Amino acid sequence: MKKPLLGPFKSRGDGHHALGPMQHIYLPMRRFRDTDEVDYLIVGCGSAGGVLLQRLSRAGFRVVALEAGPFWNTERDWVSDESGSHKLYWEDLRITGGTDPLAFGANNSGKGVGGGSVHWAAFTPRFHPSDFEVYTRDGLGADWPFRYETLRPYYEQLELEMPVAGPAHFPWGHPHGYPYGPHPMGGVGNALIKGCSALGIPVSIGGPVAILSGSRADRPHCIYRGYCIQGCKVGAKASTLITHVPDAIAHGAEVRDYSMAHRIELAKDGRVSGVHYFDRDGASWFQRAKAVIVAGYAIETPRLLLNSACPGHENGLANSSNTVGRYLMAQAGNVVLGRFDEPVRMYKAPPAHALTEEFYETDPRNDFARGFAIQTVGPLPIAFAKQMVSAKRAWGWGLRREMMDYNHWASFGLLGEILPWSDNRVTLSEERDQFGIRSPYISFSLHDNDHKLIKAAKNKTMEVMHAAGATEVVQEARYAHLVGAARMGNDPRTSVVDKFGRTHDIANLFVCDGSILPTQGSANPGLTIQALAARTADYLIAQGDTIFNSSKRDQTEPPMRRELAPPDTWGHGVPRLK
Amino acid sequence: MSKQTRKSARRWPLDVDSSLLPRDARTGEAILPSEQPGYYPGYSTLSQQAYWDKTTRDLVNERVNNIPRVRHFSAESARFWRAVFDHILPQTDRLPERRIPILERLDERLFNNRGVGYRYEKMPPDREAYRLAEIAINEEAQSRYNAGFVDLPYLQQDLVLQAIHDGKPAGAKPIWKQMSIGRFWLLLLQDAIEAYYSHPWAWDEIGFGGPAYPRAYTRLERGEPEPWEVEEQRYDWDAPRYSVSDTTESTHHLHSESRQNEFIPDESQ
Repeated sequence: MKKPLLGPFKSRGDGHHALGPMQHIYLPMRRFRDTDEVDYLIVGCGSAGGVLLQRLSRAGFRVVALEAGPFWNTERDWVSDESGSHKLYWEDLRITGGTDPLAFGANNSGKGVGGGSVHWAAFTPRFHPSDFEVYTRDGLGADWPFRYETLRPYYEQLELEMPVAGPAHFPWGHPHGYPYGPHPMGGVGNALIKGCSALGIPVSIGGPVAILSGSRADRPHCIYRGYCIQGCKVGAKASTLITHVPDAIAHGAEVRDYSMAHRIELAKDGRVSGVHYFDRDGASWFQRAKAVIVAGYAIETPRLLLNSACPGHENGLANSSNTVGRYLMAQAGNVVLGRFDEPVRMYKAPPAHALTEEFYETDPRNDFARGFAIQTVGPLPIAFAKQMVSAKRAWGWGLRREMMDYNHWASFGLLGEILPWSDNRVTLSEERDQFGIRSPYISFSLHDNDHKLIKAAKNKTMEVMHAAGATEVVQEARYAHLVGAARMGNDPRTSVVDKFGRTHDIANLFVCDGSILPTQGSANPGLTIQALAARTADYLIAQGDTIFNSSKRDQTEPPMRRELAPPDTWGHGVPRLK
Repeated sequence: MSKQTRKSARRWPLDVDSSLLPRDARTGEAILPSEQPGYYPGYSTLSQQAYWDKTTRDLVNERVNNIPRVRHFSAESARFWRAVFDHILPQTDRLPERRIPILERLDERLFNNRGVGYRYEKMPPDREAYRLAEIAINEEAQSRYNAGFVDLPYLQQDLVLQAIHDGKPAGAKPIWKQMSIGRFWLLLLQDAIEAYYSHPWAWDEIGFGGPAYPRAYTRLERGEPEPWEVEEQRYDWDAPRYSVSDTTESTHHLHSESRQNEFIPDESQ
């Protein structure tokens, strides 16, 4: 072997903790005692938890995030390898059922600081204005308790904080531009452009994606190595681990890793007083807090609320509406694969680099409501082989043969809106995980509108792949993302939390993560989750101590606190197009 | 690496019958096993490891050099599943010392009881699934050919597995009643794939670039190779005469995952 380009990774032993090839922090961080009553205890340090932790600590609150997984040292822990990246995913036992059972783990569930934002492909489209009023427009699904304009400044802000690379003009929904320039095209993006253009479909080239197209401070630009969903060792792809957690720690926040929350404690006064959690050795601890924010994503959040049932709350905490766990959503994520005569080599470039939202909105000519997006995806060999098993029923020599053609295939993922249904839900199974905590049972079934939408989306995506010049087109049916299961709304009888994430039932218990989404559009949810977290943080900061010592429920929209963003994350980029 | 591509050594290994070798599509002659089948002769991802980060380098080398000891399966079960994997991902085109271990990876996963984060309600836990499937596949072999699976000739073994693949078993109905045959087939294939296509020799076979941090990929368009990758050199081949697995069928008409993978009739069509 030649002399390696980089020497061995060595811990410098002085608390130096690598978050990328250049980015680092120094440990130990502040450590609160269990007997300290912290201001906010956040359960889960992922997309929402990381942003909340950062904002609240900068505003001067004493904040701890409990994270079930590790606090990554990216240089030491992460690899450029599909099979070696399982530790990034939530792989504790879940039971999946219904007529259309969902896959979890690597498909949609993260573990460790940064959570899902560590293994997302980092597509960051905004939701459209129509997403906030689906029920009003279509008579199906639900309305949000606020409109697009409420969230818009937070979209703009988080696009700067990540930051997002993409075209200067993005035409769908509320048209806008992106602060970092678009990425160069890989073979899959070129195929999407060619197919869409041949059919007269507009296409967004080079984003929107939360991956740096140019270096920024201590984060290098993308090197197009393709292992986005295995964790970006380069540091180009945004995750809250590198965008928000360092600033939080610099402002006195604590991230307590390997801490698996299993029960929220309800005190005699009807307010929550802290969270019970297991450390990595299985010992149980209790952290006291003046308020608790659950940010465990769409399965673990309802699971924790249900597992926290206690006298007076026999159906679980914050569940007087019997809505906790219900209205779980995943998006249809069918992957359409096209074989081209010329090589494509789809492992190069980020899987996420071009998309079209031309079919996003309800079209009266369709026999279904709502719509879908078509996006690039770039499966690496293991993922692609599994797709060939489902899409072509390949095995044996047939599978070996398909795989020898790996470099000739391109793949598009459709992202189809599945509506929120009450029977798609998370409950508790009788089985238990490695800690002895009851595992979640998830039931998921497609309804009529969903079936019609997926069929149409699949056919349109296949048409685009044919138009791109593919000589053979097949598809693998699957799902992407998870949201819902603790939805927000104005009516305490039909929702779990109010428009700021505060549970209707308990004044100092909040939920803030993907589980509060009433509907999901056909946009990847990561940006929206982080934008909601920044808004909830502004609300909590504006409310100050009243959260801790009163049950008063002020529904006034808070002022936006840009100055609490991580340093140098705003005031850059291209001018916004109206 | 030299621009000259190296023809990898081919020879006749002692353990392979020529009827089990892929054939040249023009001449019908058996293609002798080689170090590296596929259309990228001379391409080696491992030769590029100086350009990988150390954690990745150590992990991949460990995978190549340390084959885990079988600890979960009994000797008899290990022999059975080895025979099955010889069909799921056959490797007779590889020289024996260049075959990729599959059974050992599965055994390690089951020994450590490591799941993937979820279990279908129509499936028992993975260890139990493999235990039941061994019985079911043997019963399938019995009901079709009156012998245990490992005692059958290769072609009949292939046909037994094809019945499982098709979701049309002749035997072991009670087992397939408590365990979804489609879900088990996916589990089996996924375990085989996870072992085979995580191996750098498989990356060489299919022309996958492999790890690229910190060096980067630079030629993103038109499928062009990096300076250290090689151009494709295709050849036409047919599967071995005594094998039925070289057929595929498109399932693109099945729009939902459960219909595609569980043999559920599509009532909504």
